[in-house]
Amino acid sequence: MRIQLPYAGIVLLVGPSNSGKSTWLKQLIEDETIRPSEVVSSDDYRKLVGDVEHIDWKGHPPDEADTLYEAYQDISTEAFALMTSLIEARARLNKLTIIDATHLYASDRKTYIELARRLHQPIYALVLDVEQHTLLERDQQRDFPRGGRRVKQQVQVFNREKRSMKREGFDQVHVIANVDEVDLTRQMNNRLHLSTDDGIDVIGDIHGCFDEFIELLERLGYIQNEEGLYVHPEGRTFLSLGDIMSRGPKSLDTILFFIRHVEAGVAKMIDSNHGWKVLRWLEGRNVTMKHGDELFVEELHAFEEENGAELTEALKSSMKRLLKHAPSHYVLTKHDIPTAVCVHAGIRDEFIGKSSREISDFCRYGDNDGFDDAGKPIRKDWTVHHRSNKLIIWGHDPRPRPLRLNQTINIDQGVVFGGRLTAFRYPEQTIVQVEANQDYAQVDDNPLAMLEAKRLDPPNIGKFMNGYTVETEAIGAVKVSKETALPSIDLVSHHTVPLEELVYIPPTMSPTPKPAAEEGYLEHPNEAIAYYRELGITRLIAEKKHMGSRAILLLFKNEDAAERAIGRRTKGIIYTRSGRRFFESEQELEVVTRLHQSLTSNDYFTSHQTEFVLLDAEILPWNLKARELIRHQYAHVAEQALLDREQLKRSLESAVDRVDGIREWYREVSQKLEQAETFKQTFQTYCWDVEDLNAIKIAPFHVLAHSEETFFDKTHEWHMTMNQRFSEMDELFLATDYRIIEDAETETDVIEWWKAMTEDGHEGIVIKPERFLTQVEGKLIQPAIKVRGRKYLSIIYGMDYLEPDNLKRLKKRNVSKKQKLALREFALGIEGVKRFVERESLERYHECVLATLAMEAEPVDPRL
Amino acid sequence: MQLSIRATGEHVEVLSYLLAKNPNNIYERTENGHLVRMFFNRFEAEHVDVTFFVTPDPIELSRNNAGQYDITSYINDREFAVSSIFCSLLRTALGTALNGKPKPEYAEWVNHSFPLHISVGPIASALSDGAIRELFEPLGYQVEFVYSETTDDLDLTKKHAARMLQLSGMTTLQSALRQLYVLIPVMDNYKHYFIDEKEIEKLKRYGEGWLDSHPQRTYILKQALRFKDVYRLLEEEPVAKVQKANHQRLNDLRYEAIIGKVSALPERRVVIDMGAGEGKLASKLGFVPGIELIYAVEPSERERLKALKRYEKNAEDKTFNQPVSMFGSLFYVDDRLRGADVFILCEVIEHIDEDRIPKMMATLLDTYRPKSLFVTTPNREYNEVYGLDSSYRHPDHRFEWTRSEFMSFCETQAALFGYSCTFSGIGENHPTFGEPTQLAEFTRKQVI
Repeated sequence: MRIQLPYAGIVLLVGPSNSGKSTWLKQLIEDETIRPSEVVSSDDYRKLVGDVEHIDWKGHPPDEADTLYEAYQDISTEAFALMTSLIEARARLNKLTIIDATHLYASDRKTYIELARRLHQPIYALVLDVEQHTLLERDQQRDFPRGGRRVKQQVQVFNREKRSMKREGFDQVHVIANVDEVDLTRQMNNRLHLSTDDGIDVIGDIHGCFDEFIELLERLGYIQNEEGLYVHPEGRTFLSLGDIMSRGPKSLDTILFFIRHVEAGVAKMIDSNHGWKVLRWLEGRNVTMKHGDELFVEELHAFEEENGAELTEALKSSMKRLLKHAPSHYVLTKHDIPTAVCVHAGIRDEFIGKSSREISDFCRYGDNDGFDDAGKPIRKDWTVHHRSNKLIIWGHDPRPRPLRLNQTINIDQGVVFGGRLTAFRYPEQTIVQVEANQDYAQVDDNPLAMLEAKRLDPPNIGKFMNGYTVETEAIGAVKVSKETALPSIDLVSHHTVPLEELVYIPPTMSPTPKPAAEEGYLEHPNEAIAYYRELGITRLIAEKKHMGSRAILLLFKNEDAAERAIGRRTKGIIYTRSGRRFFESEQELEVVTRLHQSLTSNDYFTSHQTEFVLLDAEILPWNLKARELIRHQYAHVAEQALLDREQLKRSLESAVDRVDGIREWYREVSQKLEQAETFKQTFQTYCWDVEDLNAIKIAPFHVLAHSEETFFDKTHEWHMTMNQRFSEMDELFLATDYRIIEDAETETDVIEWWKAMTEDGHEGIVIKPERFLTQVEGKLIQPAIKVRGRKYLSIIYGMDYLEPDNLKRLKKRNVSKKQKLALREFALGIEGVKRFVERESLERYHECVLATLAMEAEPVDPRL
Repeated sequence: MQLSIRATGEHVEVLSYLLAKNPNNIYERTENGHLVRMFFNRFEAEHVDVTFFVTPDPIELSRNNAGQYDITSYINDREFAVSSIFCSLLRTALGTALNGKPKPEYAEWVNHSFPLHISVGPIASALSDGAIRELFEPLGYQVEFVYSETTDDLDLTKKHAARMLQLSGMTTLQSALRQLYVLIPVMDNYKHYFIDEKEIEKLKRYGEGWLDSHPQRTYILKQALRFKDVYRLLEEEPVAKVQKANHQRLNDLRYEAIIGKVSALPERRVVIDMGAGEGKLASKLGFVPGIELIYAVEPSERERLKALKRYEKNAEDKTFNQPVSMFGSLFYVDDRLRGADVFILCEVIEHIDEDRIPKMMATLLDTYRPKSLFVTTPNREYNEVYGLDSSYRHPDHRFEWTRSEFMSFCETQAALFGYSCTFSGIGENHPTFGEPTQLAEFTRKQVI
């Protein structure tokens, strides 16, 4: 007799006292078939809680016997309570537990059957059926004999229950007369575990799109061998997330393909809703074949007509085998450590690595919450409950793009609906896709089209208002607190351009991480260059920093393009770094129309095959946007200072020779008067009259995106070249000077350039690594550092900031918080633009924008 | 920031004793890191000229600034303009003169009037030259102004020109200084310390003998005691202006109209006041029978706090149904708002950019689908009655619609989402221009 114990689960030994349960288990432990920790014995637990294994009440007067019996019952109750909680814990942890007790009564067994069901564990009964005389013999030999009467009583109960046990709900019941005849083994590995040490390619829902599937396999590097099997030269295998059939044109080909490959052990396939439905139909159950399943039936009929009933029956039984053995999910392991889960529709963390009917159901359909008016299932978002670190790879619910959400990734891109077939390579975590040749399903409620139609729906406020996390590709999770999320929601509700048009908020930028070592300077290029040099980056770019107002320009090829992208017909929009409209609407129209004309007449949109261009720019002059601020703050302060210092200087003049110390004071005020003059001249450098449009200058320094691509992978030289091209298209566009730093000579050159420029009052330069996104040892570094000029800083830190005593104190500034924010905002900016370009939903790109605004609400020294 | 006092004529050298300062030395001391200095530019038998100059520490000043994280606070005129900071820092240096307590042998000169020429500034004031004259001329001064010599090459600086205030008159040193101590903060638009009852005490002391008879007395007191509550301790506030009363009345009429309509609805279990602001309407809804749940939705935390206070006031009234204050926005979907019977947008839409309105309406009428929706907004035509030519009634209004604009908008929306729509006016009727406020009531059509 062969019995295989499951990898995990509950095994009940059943049999009267003396039937040899403990002896057998001892033997199994000795020959290392099972581990001692896997055995739970009621006798042991009685000892643990009550110090004794057995209490004998025989031969005592009735009153004593009653008390002893009661004591024995109490100990038993406690012992079983403790046992049960241990068994539960082991079941939750997906462990095997063998319970050594008589389990004579149905009610005893029911407790464990229910427990096993609830915790998704298999439960076996191993029933020891030993002759009564053997039992009585053995009883005589033990330390605490139970007594003949009790043994006989137990045998009576046992014989009565033996027959009904099979119907109690055990997964397996084995009746054993002699344990020596049992060949007992155990399954050592979880069947759901799958090693990825050779690499595995997880394929999304195929739905009979066989041609696309073969194309994908070939693109993944699989080659057909002599037996006609697709194998990978590096030993990789592929795994289907299920739904390989129905809706599409070649269900049968796909199923046949998987039967061969799964049976040959070079591929895996997971259970799924369509697979399950087809299986039940094949088994002759009463199911209605619709939602594309009818196409499979048609194919099968055609097959039968062509090949006859016999071949069809054979095919049917192979199909049944394939579908029946498809597991609910697979747990992918790296070096035997579980790191990811493949599942069709969804899973709960507590289901991972386990099997049960409930788990299979959940894995096939996800978390469904009834049906809507149209009879479609209302799908609940199970991903929000996912807490474990395992990456869950799933399909079932088509999304236009692979969607990463809360350590899950959806790779059903609806190939049968005219989307794409996706392969997710593990452990590399890269994506390979094949476009659908056509929309095969041809349904009114095409899920991809429906998602597209809902793309710009208002975001769900519940996702943001209690604080939230954005998963960014560049730096991982960025947390947004409730305290900063709320005012940001208020901001975008009242003051900014509409949510769908607000696709990017430029990140803040840190000044030099350390104050200038050079005397008389607060900031100096040396410290910025040193920052990058210390990180091992040698090739840098220095760009002139214009002093105006930051602006984002989103310019469209035409109004249709705008409608597709943001849902409004317009030629373009321009907004500030806090999301507010940059110009009054009339002037915006004028500027946008003009730029649109220039770009169009230079074939910009057609030559780049884009529907829009998204630019990050500085718009000059400063007074264009900051007029009131300049008037009330800077001009006003300059005037006050000048008048104050002029007056004092005049008063002091008359007493220079009369009173001691006045001469020094006079020199001091003369110096201060000059500082006030510098202050006044400095801010005026950034201002000029804007009588006509041509006085406005727009200096784009990043081309963030076109409709089909983003440009974060380009070098800054590329961006600067684009900037040069724009300036050739329209004189509103201003080219930006820049220099490359690669050696000592170019470094000196840049410093001289910076000195000359800032002496003229210009703001300064920005130093960046050669590439937009630069990582050092896997960590993103500051994407840019600004180095502002001495004169410019007087409008930031005050006109007297360079006085030695002031400068000394100001040099104690700390930029670490600013740097952190700069990195986060940078990562959020890239993420948001990518999502926008990928045509993800408004909710998805808005969460990045809202997060950046929330970062900007963090208190940080605004002078940095 | 500086103060010069010049006097010519007999006995003027006595001023150095009244100030208790040595005319041949620089007086120099620091007050909390800020530098206070004084010197005599001239000290002759019949010509004395003394200058007090305060140099605040700009870094210390900005550190103590309340708006620490607002960049404009780092570049501000507080380092230069005469203000309450100036007065405080000079308090010790001018102590003897202000209190009129020189050495006993000079006590008789305290009440002696000198021909004083005072120069103080720069002044950072929103007051015109004329208004400043009205403060000082009644006190017997001749008033002049000196402006900065630097020529302005930008029109940016035309407004709020910096001025030195020059006063000439026969007066005692003590009363001149005391008058300046009261009037400098009056001209300036800012006080650096918290104003409380002590300020009244100071006003009484320094204003003794001149403030009560000053024609600008009320204005001076109001400016000196910036906070209403402090001012009230001294004087009862005059009745609010008529226009404000009118405005108040229209507000109430609007609430009344909405309450009336909501009360008449057969289905009004859950009512949502979107853009509830400080909760005035929501509190009134709290007394309408038949409403079980009121959500007062508002994105501004400040407004929500005010609203909570308002609801609390009624908390003890057993008939009051406390509204639930909720953070929310019209540009997101909020699952908590689904299934409500009534939505109210009272004076909300005109604060939203016009091109954002259709999407907001779709969220309301297509996603939430209440049985009733009320929308009120100003009737632009009525602005004629107010004498507003082209400007809006409120600076935050993004648009104001005429009656036909509003009606055609509402009817389009209603048709789009299966609602019917009726209109009415709120406020005094004008035969040509209608009522100041217009109200639309949307009713969901029964699905057949």
